[in-house]
Amino acid sequence: MVGTIDTNALRKASLKHNWMHFRDWRQMAEEGDPLIMVDGKGMEVIDSDGNSWLDVNGGYLNVNVGYGRTEIADAVLEQMLKITFTPRGTTTPPIAALSQKLAEITPGDLERSWAVTGGSEANETAIKIAKAYHKRNGESGRYKIISRKGSYHGALGITTWLGGRDGRSDFEPPYPGVLYAPQPNPYRNEFNSEDPSEIAVKAAQAIEDLIVFNGPETVAAVIAEPLCADTPIDAASVPGPEYWPMLRQICDKYGVLLIDDEVICGFGRTGKWFGINHWGVVPDIMTVAKGVVSTYLPMAAAITSRRVADAFTGPGNIFPMTLTFGGHPVTAAAALANIKIIEDDGLVQNAERMGKYLLEQLKSLQIEHSIIGNARGLGLITALEIVKDRSTKERFPSEVGIEEMMAKKFAEHRLVLRPRGTIVIAPPLCVKRDEIDRIVNTVDIVLGEIELELGIK
Amino acid sequence: MVDVYDTNTIKSSALRYQWMHNKDWTQMGEEGDPPVIIEGNGMKVTDSDGKEWLDVSGGYYSIHIGYGRKELAYAAYEQLKQITFFPSGTTTPPVIELCEKLAELTPGDLSRSYLNSGGSEANEIALKITKAYHKRRGENGRYKFISRRGSYHGTTSSVMWLGESSSNYGLTDFEPAYPGMLHAPSPNSYRPEVRGETPSEIAVNSAKAIEDLILMHGPNTIAGVIGEAVAQPPGAVVPGDEYWPMVREICDRYGILLIADEIICGFGRTGTMFGMDNWNVVPDIMCVGKGITSSYLPLSATVVSDKIAEHFGGEGNTFNMAVTASGHPVSAAVALKNIEIIETEKLVQRSAENGTYFKNKLNELQQDHISIGDVRGIGMLLGIEFVKDRDTKEEFPLAVSDRLTQIFKENGMILVASKGIVTIAPPISITRDDIDEIVTKLDISIGSLERELGL
Repeated sequence: MVGTIDTNALRKASLKHNWMHFRDWRQMAEEGDPLIMVDGKGMEVIDSDGNSWLDVNGGYLNVNVGYGRTEIADAVLEQMLKITFTPRGTTTPPIAALSQKLAEITPGDLERSWAVTGGSEANETAIKIAKAYHKRNGESGRYKIISRKGSYHGALGITTWLGGRDGRSDFEPPYPGVLYAPQPNPYRNEFNSEDPSEIAVKAAQAIEDLIVFNGPETVAAVIAEPLCADTPIDAASVPGPEYWPMLRQICDKYGVLLIDDEVICGFGRTGKWFGINHWGVVPDIMTVAKGVVSTYLPMAAAITSRRVADAFTGPGNIFPMTLTFGGHPVTAAAALANIKIIEDDGLVQNAERMGKYLLEQLKSLQIEHSIIGNARGLGLITALEIVKDRSTKERFPSEVGIEEMMAKKFAEHRLVLRPRGTIVIAPPLCVKRDEIDRIVNTVDIVLGEIELELGIK
Repeated sequence: MVDVYDTNTIKSSALRYQWMHNKDWTQMGEEGDPPVIIEGNGMKVTDSDGKEWLDVSGGYYSIHIGYGRKELAYAAYEQLKQITFFPSGTTTPPVIELCEKLAELTPGDLSRSYLNSGGSEANEIALKITKAYHKRRGENGRYKFISRRGSYHGTTSSVMWLGESSSNYGLTDFEPAYPGMLHAPSPNSYRPEVRGETPSEIAVNSAKAIEDLILMHGPNTIAGVIGEAVAQPPGAVVPGDEYWPMVREICDRYGILLIADEIICGFGRTGTMFGMDNWNVVPDIMCVGKGITSSYLPLSATVVSDKIAEHFGGEGNTFNMAVTASGHPVSAAVALKNIEIIETEKLVQRSAENGTYFKNKLNELQQDHISIGDVRGIGMLLGIEFVKDRDTKEEFPLAVSDRLTQIFKENGMILVASKGIVTIAPPISITRDDIDEIVTKLDISIGSLERELGL
């Protein structure tokens, strides 16, 4: 494969015709980018010049079973030789089986799945369901959605406006009815506290305050990730144990639905099947993507409790929404094969074990490097927060270009790792101990070099 | 097919655990639905009881090359054995090749593609690019979008407010609406919203209505106009020939971007590669989906002109948006094979030729059936509108559409009548024999309906 590719021609075509995520094509052209990947196995990917790279975060924290699992390829081929679409008003065996499987592995009474192709769509769907649910119950005034500042829930209509901090002025005006609550981030928070429990309680109370202030009869739902996974400020910050049970209780108290965004945290990422399992809480709607199919194909779902779904049956109650690729049989077949690998290979357990080991290593790095302000995580979502000054927690100003410096140095070591704000280290669930050692050693070297260059001891 | 399916188990799983599009699971259960589809070939699919169905809707007007093309399965398989995703900041060969192919196929200076997984996403991105484009040029006040009533542009929370009236898609469930969505008349010659007798007059006045809307709101508040070349929801409304060139000119005059939603019309559906090619109009942004892979896998693209893309290169200009599965190598590999089939088998040409044949057959049906008020469309995107009274164009009660849908089903067709309108959009690869078979079944079905209604 490698030998047959004309890298220069492809690169030129990519620079001219391919609109890549977050990349500037002029800069890429100057730097000889982009890399063109042609093969992969586990955490390792091979570029068109034959170089091997470690894809530290497995795409965007989504290639959970690792690259190169031929079982998924086989499942896709088998399904594509049968039926490749679900005609109107019909179903297909894989989507029925996947829906049932999701009901089995998700907690509590979560049982009915609206399948889509990506996390943004899943969250868009969840919010539409939440609004329509209240309408079905005669509570037409409930349309506001509470998210937490700094969170990420997608890039489409309303999801663009959930969470977030900056970088959205291009897309004004905002979607009406989105409210913002504080994060329960133990390291950086709005409560001048360093006690995770106190922060958790105050952050949950802030959501209650927001509900009461706006009027409960106007609030449709609260949406949150079990822990922020890959965001510039709050990545991998684990809320105190009080947070989620309190959120559940507050939502119940005011008739507000709780939407749990498990797009990144789901399918073993945190060392349990779903992130929220750490706190024994059952949401009303759960959204999944990425890990559900390790993005071997585009697949996601919004999974609702029986209570929510039941509002949409009976004359005149149908949920009015169609997505062409929702419930696609081939992506469902891929998801089933992917979930089987997670089960057969014990990847949830591996994530727990390897996550503990990784966090230990990162915490020892913190002792060595004064620019590490905080090392944290849960399961295989971990992060190092880089600061200019540990005592003030001040960050490096953007002129220093520390993210670019790091990405470049990681690339010299053949690691694909492009930090945004924090260094998020969230490898595929199949990660092995020696791969963690390689990542940690490289981070150690790179941070040492940077400290030297910046004149920091 | 050697597999044995336990139909009842699969059905009960689907009824309990799967949330199907626009369906009520209680009602489906009572009616013995849903059929479990296990196989497909051309325009036909087979359910687990061995019953064969004609998918006259071709999925959602999306199975261009028909079911059962093994080449696409092997194209996916080959790619899945190489690389199945891309590390952050990198790309893969099939994605690049597809972007290059799209630049070649699309008209004018459309050149750079933002790939994604579905039509709604493609349109959402088009809106975001449009707004950001105006911002990059210092025109911060442009945020409004004009769409036409009777169109459909998706179901995620910005695009669902474009086009169609709220009653059709239950939008009241999702209030409040996204700000800045303006609606212009549909250039529908059968039920005109503007003054005019002929398709030309209606086209001209519909285009002028867009200009009026722009002037009323102030051009410096308008970001884009979005439309399907041939609107599917009102049953394949083909505008008069003046319409699209005029809309293009109006957009240019006021510095507004023209977004062509080619999610249904693209890849030969209307007898040309893209719907806008029927009028030689080059939009600023084109959105494609469905037919790009014949829906074998999820893929869509937002294709923009160089004029727009150039504002997003250079420091500080990067477009701030990412969706995980966009630019997926496996979907791209399938799209490339699908496009290759469309080209080598000359399916665009076939769509044009068979479309004319098909439409003539439908016109003949109209002569035999008094309930057919109008037959319209172009290529393999055809529409039939049923009316209670041809002279007054009075509509049937909604229940008649439901009944007609049921009769179609009884005759082995997957085809939906909605508000008296039926859109016919089977694979563009189908043969004249297939068309004759559909026409015969339509004839029988419409005859049954008319007998039941005493017409």
